[in-house]
Amino acid sequence: MRRALAVLAALAVTSCSSPAWDHHDYALKAGMTAESAASDVEFVRLAVQHEPDLTRPYLKTVLTEAAGSLSSLNDQFGAVQPPSASADAMRDQVLGLTQEAAEQVQDLLIQVRRDRIADPAGAAAALGEVGAELRAFGEAHR
Amino acid sequence: MKKLLGVTLGILTAIGGFVDIGDLVANSLVGARFGMSLAWVVIVGVVGICLFAEMSGRIAAVSGRPVFDLVRERLGPRTGLTNLLASFAINLLTLAAEIGGAALALELATGIDYLVWVPGVALVAWLVIWRVRFSTMERVFGLAGLALIVFAVALWQLGPDWGELGRQLTSPPESEGAPTYWYYAIALLGAAMTPYEVFFFSSGGVEERWTRRDLGEARANVFIGFPLGGFLSLAIAACGATLFLPHGIEVGSLGQMALPAAVGLGQVGLVAVIFGVFAATFGATLETALSSGYTISQYFGWQWGKFVRPRDASRFHATLLVTLIIATALILTTIDPIKVTEYSLIFSAVALPLTYLPVLMIANDPDYMGVHVNGRFSNLLGTLYMILLLVVSVAAIPLMIATKAGQ
Amino acid sequence: MTAARTLHAQLHLLDRQVVRADDARMVSKADDLELDYDRDGRLYVSALLTGPLALGPRIGGVIGRLMVAVTTLLRPEEDPAPRRIPMRLVTDIGSALKVGGDPAEAALERWTRVHLIAPLPGSGAPAHDDEPPPDRQHRGAMRVSELLGRTVTDAEGRVVGQVADVRLSQDGHLLGPAANALRVSGLVVVPRNTGQLFGYERGPGGAGPWLVRVVVRRLHRGSRHVTWDQVESFAPSPEIRLRVPASELADLRELYSTLPST
Repeated sequence: MRRALAVLAALAVTSCSSPAWDHHDYALKAGMTAESAASDVEFVRLAVQHEPDLTRPYLKTVLTEAAGSLSSLNDQFGAVQPPSASADAMRDQVLGLTQEAAEQVQDLLIQVRRDRIADPAGAAAALGEVGAELRAFGEAHR
Repeated sequence: MKKLLGVTLGILTAIGGFVDIGDLVANSLVGARFGMSLAWVVIVGVVGICLFAEMSGRIAAVSGRPVFDLVRERLGPRTGLTNLLASFAINLLTLAAEIGGAALALELATGIDYLVWVPGVALVAWLVIWRVRFSTMERVFGLAGLALIVFAVALWQLGPDWGELGRQLTSPPESEGAPTYWYYAIALLGAAMTPYEVFFFSSGGVEERWTRRDLGEARANVFIGFPLGGFLSLAIAACGATLFLPHGIEVGSLGQMALPAAVGLGQVGLVAVIFGVFAATFGATLETALSSGYTISQYFGWQWGKFVRPRDASRFHATLLVTLIIATALILTTIDPIKVTEYSLIFSAVALPLTYLPVLMIANDPDYMGVHVNGRFSNLLGTLYMILLLVVSVAAIPLMIATKAGQ
Repeated sequence: MTAARTLHAQLHLLDRQVVRADDARMVSKADDLELDYDRDGRLYVSALLTGPLALGPRIGGVIGRLMVAVTTLLRPEEDPAPRRIPMRLVTDIGSALKVGGDPAEAALERWTRVHLIAPLPGSGAPAHDDEPPPDRQHRGAMRVSELLGRTVTDAEGRVVGQVADVRLSQDGHLLGPAANALRVSGLVVVPRNTGQLFGYERGPGGAGPWLVRVVVRRLHRGSRHVTWDQVESFAPSPEIRLRVPASELADLRELYSTLPST
């Protein structure tokens, strides 16, 4: 009995990517994806801003994490079937933003693996833009 | 200094409860999402664990009997076994998570994937348990874990708006729903009062051969160690509230949780925090591994403890060895160490009341305690906390399912 | 002579830690108690029973049966009995049960030491280990757990309740140089299956905390005390039959208003 409960709870917890039933549900999913991506982007921006205070192994580890998290968000949302043709626009918008974010973080990671980040201020500004767009999208669709 | 060395058992125990791997991230996340609005839960948790740890320490000093011995003695073999299974599940899951956590700290320090470090961490943990004296172990890892105080310093350096932090104490942000708020309240309370703390603390008292004369030392351990743990946990939450809340960052990893120390104190802060995280998670590894051996041995009445040679407590050491191997295998499946601790909350629902009720009963039994039975104040508070723990156990699983573990 | 010490099997003996008297090494839990008949035909506690063969039946269910089955399979004897520690070795009954002498080691402890712990460096184990002497197979008349939880019916066949505890008084024959045997002197009968008494039913004031005491006592209101003289038969039928009607049984609360606390 107790074991059954645990399994049930585990299922409930892990079932994050389920199919979208209608337009509203799809919009909610899109909003949540954008919010999560915004959180990752904002964190990377904060880390890049304080780049001199961080060690390279640390930076490498957190950037790897963020890149992995962004690409999995991208994959997960990309795999959800849009309920109608009208939802395609929303799909393109979100995926465009998450892809952009994932690429930027990946670029930074490549730089960190080699040496240090070449232009921290510029990178932070670029991340700030994507982050703000993701955040705005997320807030509009919650 | 001598005084400080005397309370390291309390400090090491509290670190395992308040700032182990799951709670390091959870505290930071709670700060980032709810500001300081859940700080009261930490205070409630500190008072609760102080209350019951004091009782269990007093019982250990007066009668020499550790907590799981009492669980079986008072609740009988069947209910005792239910508690044993739940407590062992918590110990095992947490142990797996702590091994992963110590490995993650090494990844942050070196940039080498944590899975590479896992077998090494487990082996060193076993060697420490096998060879190092209990008092040495508790001093080294209790004091090293105090490096996490760097969060308090970093918070001060970050220069937060103290008025804003104060205002958050009473008002949760509107963007979060009530179920998630209460889910995290219960998770934090469950973590603060997690049963392996009293298993470890009371068994540690027996390991140190506490007697009636050491009641003062037992109390000092409780009233310094656990508030210190609570303080560290609040400092981490406040850092999260200061740095992450304004940017809407939802902390989800150990690396993210360490950032405030670097922002506040530079590379020195980062190094200190990674060291502190390693010490805390490694200390919690020892605490949960030993707790699993303590609970099983005490339930069955086997000789246990590091105060005898391993050959004289072979079932105890065999249990430890097997538990460590299972936990290592579990974490090597690449399961997320931070997620793992969330599931242990399910088992806490069973173990919390079944652990603290017998402690409360025995602390009142003059057969055991003689003149050192509970006073009225302890009993009043103890009763209130028993009611609270019952509410927590009933509410934990439904809230967990309803909020998808706080998402 | 002062009044004989009264103990309760469940509260004071069962599930307590057994330790060696001289160095406080832990031996086992008191998993069950063996009862035997003395020369006058009265039941007394003859030994502590320990190990999975004693614990398994008390846990019951799948886990309990599995425990017994696995142990039986692994033990060399045809029909193994639980390890027993004769009561004459028990020197003190307190927060732990102290036993004198050097009680035999549990088979699992020996096995793990020989096969797992001793080969590891730094275990402090000598190279060889003496084979333990074979267990003498003694079996008492019954176990105390066979009395606990049994239904009690009165002289007219009405159900009184079930056995929650067995009262023992230390006034039997001499077991050792100083200790008298613990004789079965009565039963504590609770009206329904309300779990354990936790000791809150007994003793004059009763221990705190207040709320726990009130709840436990409330659950067990109407509990009775049955003296052993009032028992007509307890075997082989599943219930324990009394020779008096339920109305003649003493209320449990009368017991501690007349007796000094122990």
